[in-house]
Order: sequence, then C-alpha cells, then structure tokens
Amino acid sequence: MNDMHLINRGVDMNETKISARNVQVYYGTTHAIKDVSVEILDHAVTAFIGPSGCGKSTFLRCLNRMNDTIDTCRVEGEITLDQEDIYDKRVDPVQLRAKVGMVFQKPNPFPKSIYDNVAYGPKIHGMTRNKAELDDIVESALRRAALWGEVKDRLAAPGTGLSGGQQQRLCIARAVATAPEVLLMDEPCSALDPIATAQVEELIDELRTNFSVVIVTHSMQQAARVSQKTAFFHLGHLVEYGDTSQIFTKPVDPRTESYITGRIG
Amino acid sequence: MSMTDPAPGRARASLFAQDIRTKKRNAAEARFRMYGMGAVGIGLILLVFLMVSILSNGASAFRQTFLEIPIYVDQAVVDPAGNRDLAAMKKVTTIGYGRILGASIMAALADKGIETEGLSERDITAIFSKEAAAQLRNRVLADTTLVGQTTVLRTFASGRIDGYFKGRVTMASAERDSNISPQQLRLADRMRDAGLISVAFNIDFILGPDASELRPEAAGLGVAILGSVYMMIIVLALALPIGVASSIYLEEFAPKNRFTDLIEVNIANLAAVPSIVFGILGLAVFINYAGLPQSSPVVGGLVLTLMTLPTIIIATRAALKAVPPSIRDAALGVGASKMQTILHHVLPLAMPGILTGTIIGLAQALGETAPLLLIGMVAFVREFPAAPPEGFLDPASALPVQVYNFTQRADPAFVERASGAIIVLLAFLLIMNIIAVVLRRRFERRW
Repeated sequence: MNDMHLINRGVDMNETKISARNVQVYYGTTHAIKDVSVEILDHAVTAFIGPSGCGKSTFLRCLNRMNDTIDTCRVEGEITLDQEDIYDKRVDPVQLRAKVGMVFQKPNPFPKSIYDNVAYGPKIHGMTRNKAELDDIVESALRRAALWGEVKDRLAAPGTGLSGGQQQRLCIARAVATAPEVLLMDEPCSALDPIATAQVEELIDELRTNFSVVIVTHSMQQAARVSQKTAFFHLGHLVEYGDTSQIFTKPVDPRTESYITGRIG
Repeated sequence: MSMTDPAPGRARASLFAQDIRTKKRNAAEARFRMYGMGAVGIGLILLVFLMVSILSNGASAFRQTFLEIPIYVDQAVVDPAGNRDLAAMKKVTTIGYGRILGASIMAALADKGIETEGLSERDITAIFSKEAAAQLRNRVLADTTLVGQTTVLRTFASGRIDGYFKGRVTMASAERDSNISPQQLRLADRMRDAGLISVAFNIDFILGPDASELRPEAAGLGVAILGSVYMMIIVLALALPIGVASSIYLEEFAPKNRFTDLIEVNIANLAAVPSIVFGILGLAVFINYAGLPQSSPVVGGLVLTLMTLPTIIIATRAALKAVPPSIRDAALGVGASKMQTILHHVLPLAMPGILTGTIIGLAQALGETAPLLLIGMVAFVREFPAAPPEGFLDPASALPVQVYNFTQRADPAFVERASGAIIVLLAFLLIMNIIAVVLRRRFERRW
C-alpha cells in the first residue's frame, strides 16, 4: 500500500486488462463507434472524455456487454479481457458482468434495504456460505465506498432514502461487493453536488489499488484529477489516447486541443 | 375599469386591467370547467339514482314474512302404518303434509281466538308458502321422533302475504287478485297482532337455493353465489399464471418482429371482442368438442378465463413497462441473469399493477352474463353443487344470470329479489375492490 502512495499519479503496473481492437458499433443503421482500438490498463483509472453523443458511453457499455440488452445494437471487432474475447459465443454475459462491474450515471439503488442492495450481488453469485461471511462482505464493500460510517446503524433502512451522493456511493459499494476486476463508471458524478463529487473521486482513486477503473466524464477537471490515462472521443472516433498529463498539456491532435480548451464540444 | 383604458393589442397596459385576450382565455377556461363539472355531475346523479333505486327496491328482499305455527304431526297422515319405516313414510307427499298444516293453523287460530270471517280452511292454508309443506316433510323425514308430537314450524308466508307487509300488495289490489282476497289480508293482520306472523331478516335469501316461479318467497341466491365463487376460483387459477407468464415473455423475452406485433394486436383486439362471442366459442369448444357438462362452473370458468386473459395481459405488460429501466440496468450490472432481474426486481415492482389488473379482470368476469347464457348456466338449478373439485362439474347458476332469471319471471315479488341479487353482486364487487386496494398498499414500495 505504501509504495502506491509514492507513485501516486503514475500508472502502477503496465499490465493490459482490457484490449479493444477495431471495434465498430451500430445502432440499426447508425454507425456509433468507428474503428476504436484501445488498451485499458490494470490498477489504473482510464477516463473517457468527449462531447455529448460522441460514443464514449456506448463504448463503455460494450466492455461489459450491457449493449446486448438493446435489440438493434450490433458490435464488431474484438474486445478481450485478460486475453479472452468477451464477445466469443462461449461467453455468458452474466459471468462477464460479475467480473466487470458497472456504476451508472443516475444513482439507481434497488428499492430494498441498504444491506440488501449490497448483499444482492454476492448472494446471486453464491460468494458466501453463511450470513456472517455476507455481513463481512457488506461491511467491507460499504467501507470501501466510504459509506459505512454513515449507514452502519441503519442497514435495514431503504437504500432509496439516502441522499443522492450517498445513493451513488451505495451503488459503488454494490458494484464493489461482487469483487469485480474492472469497474466501469458512466458519469458517476453528473447527478451529484461538489462535495459528494469530491467524495466519489477520492473513492475512485482508492479503488484503483484493486481494480481497473474506466470512467466516462463530461468534466475535464474530473478526468485530470482522477485518471492516469485519458481517451478523447469525437463523433464515434477515438481521437487520442494517452497519459492524462500528456493529453491535457501536450495534446497531439488539434481536435483534442480544441475540446480541452473549450472550442468544441 | 375606468383607469387608463388601454388600446387592444400589445399596447402598454396596466397589470391591474385584463386585456381582451386574457379575458377571452379566462372565459374559455371557466367554460371548460363548467363543462367538466357538468359531465361529472351528470354521472354522479345517474349513479345516485341507480343506487337509490336498487337499494330501495332490493333492500326488502333481505327481509321476509315468517309464520310461526305449532304443528301437530299427525301419525295417521304421515305414518299410517305406525312403524316409522322411512321408505313407507316417503310415500306420503306434500299434499298430506298440506293437510297437517291446514289442521294446525286452524287449531292455532281457534286457540288464539282469531276471527276468520268465514274463510275456508283451504283459503287459510294458502297463507303458508307452497314451500311450507315440503319444509315440514323434510323435517319430519329427517327426525321421525317428531311424529305424534307438536313442533313449532317457522316457515315463509306466501308471496302475496309477504307483499302485503312490504306494501307491494294492498287491499285494493287484492280485490282484483285471484290469488289473494282482502279477507285473507285482514286475517294476516290479526295473526301478526297475535304473534303468529312476523317480518324478519331472511338468511335464506343469501344461502338458500332458487325456487320455482310460484314461490318467490323461497327463492334464494345460494347456488348462484356458489357457482360464481367456483368460477372465480377457476378464473383466478388459470388466468393469473397464464396471463402473467405470457406478459413476461412478450414484454421481456420475445423478439420484436412481425409475428409478435401480430400477437400484440390480437391481444388488444381480444379485449374488445363482445362477450357473447366467447360464449359461442365456449359452447363449441368446451361443451360440443371437449364434452364438458353443460351449466357447469368449469365451462363458465374457462369461458370467463378467455375473456379475462387480455385484460390481465394488457395490465401486466403496462405494469412491467412502467418499471424504470435503471432498475433493470442495476440488476444486470451486478451480474444478475435476465430471469433473476425479472423475478427479483421487475416483478415485485410491477406487482401492484398486476394485482389491480387481475382484480379488475375478475370483477368484469363476475358481472358477465351473456356468455354464461349460451353455455347453459341460465338453467333452473336448485341443487347445490358439491364441494370442489367434483363440484366444478356439477350444474350451477351464477349471480348475474340469477338476476336475469329473476327479471324474467312474472310474479311481481321477483322484482325485489332481482334488485336484492344486484345488491349482493355489488357487495361482492365492492369486496373485490377493497381487496385490490389492500393488496396494492401491501405491495407498493413507499421508498
């Protein structure tokens, strides 16, 4: 843990977790993602930035096959997780999603108790043998999500009764509880106030010690604050991908520069 | 309004004075409100009129005029051999028991010293319902120790006497009526004063079986209520699982193509098919083809299931659609399978809507008459169906059909019974609606 802090802003290990090659996504006849190739590193936060409608959320949802639920959506190309093609016929998307967790734009806790929200994933994946183990998982997930202190006395209270920021942290705890290897976050702070946003960002920074985190964000400051790698999407193309410090200080592509300086987007 | 009097249009005007356009808009709004209130008012007035007329006509059906007469069960009539042999006693018909009733009422009148104005024993016995002799016979055959004893029989007065105490029959109408005379009515008055006749709540109207055209006073709803309950059990047991399963499949699993579109249109249209068509279908398929017995709750239940299915499917699909997609995303996002997502998250949230739709469908089915007429439930059924499951195959009636039957009969005493049956039907609907509200409250997540 200690040496992590020494190289705080750097990428800890240059190990590729997810690799996408020549990915095309179509919604019916609309070509939404055009030939995107990207390597997402383990134990790092990768930020996807870009103007609205540029395809960054669509691409994110390809990484855990959430796009499967949309009938008209078609994905081509190759996406591998630990060198295994996730679009292979043998892959059950349910197993994939247990490995690749997701946090959504709008906090969406289940209309159940706080405890049940967090315990749901471990329960359906049969991760525990008894109640005590489940209690441990719930507690550690809530601690990880920096929510334990606020809710430990009211675990039976409804999850939807929490404030917006707490709800989002609950959703993060829910995603963390299933022990995923990758955590996808689709604009997790867009519905939160600055204080809650700061809490979630701090959390994201901590989470990368265990996970590979991919975050979609509209806020360039947020991308700069939390990520080690940044990918800039524009009109379905991956325009530029590199170290966050490089993208924000010495962008190669003129479109990237225009976007981060506020001229397009 | 005599301030600055602004010119029409967008001239500079005071906020305190309404310009012409604003006045017009406000007037239009006021008119619309009036129309709305008028429409609601007309509906309410009609509803109140309906309820008042049904209640005022039907309330009296729950009260009945009873005779309470000590009866001497004469062994010479009911058991001439004197050996209490049931087979032999059963040979004595109600005519014999009618003679016992006549003798007993004459004795009772003499005992109380009631003036009979020269009425014959036959005319006096006519104060009894035609049901009374059968009632006495059943009682004696069930308990032969009564033979030779005196027992107090509480039985219905005839329909005309009952009508007299409820105000339906008057002295003037009795003058013109061949079935009753003013002397009989005056005798009934004196008998009431002597405590031999009383008007009381009649549980047999709700629990008893139907009776023939000639004895409206004995007609009850028991068989019809039981038949309706049996049919509702069948409808619930079939329509709810089939409806919910097909809705879940169509809404969550079925591919969206021409074929499923066709199914969807068909379901929507089925909900609008006239109910009598379902009756013909039931007659053709369940009775003629499958050979199920006529007039049986199982056939009625199957026909009503077909009618209720579209309602349940449409309500269930609407309820499933109303579950926010974010909940599905959340469940799928933590690695739940489609089935787990539906069973653990979508279905519980859709439950209030599904239950409401189901109970609305059941309420519709409960009040449905036309298809039941075609499958023979309009028949006159006096025997109670057996307990389920065999009872599902026995002949039975149904509440709305019973209402229809009562309205078809000539005796004016059936008017109050038809209205009374409607009150019972409405009470059942009310109970079902209350259950719907309670279940909704229960399942609704208030967080």
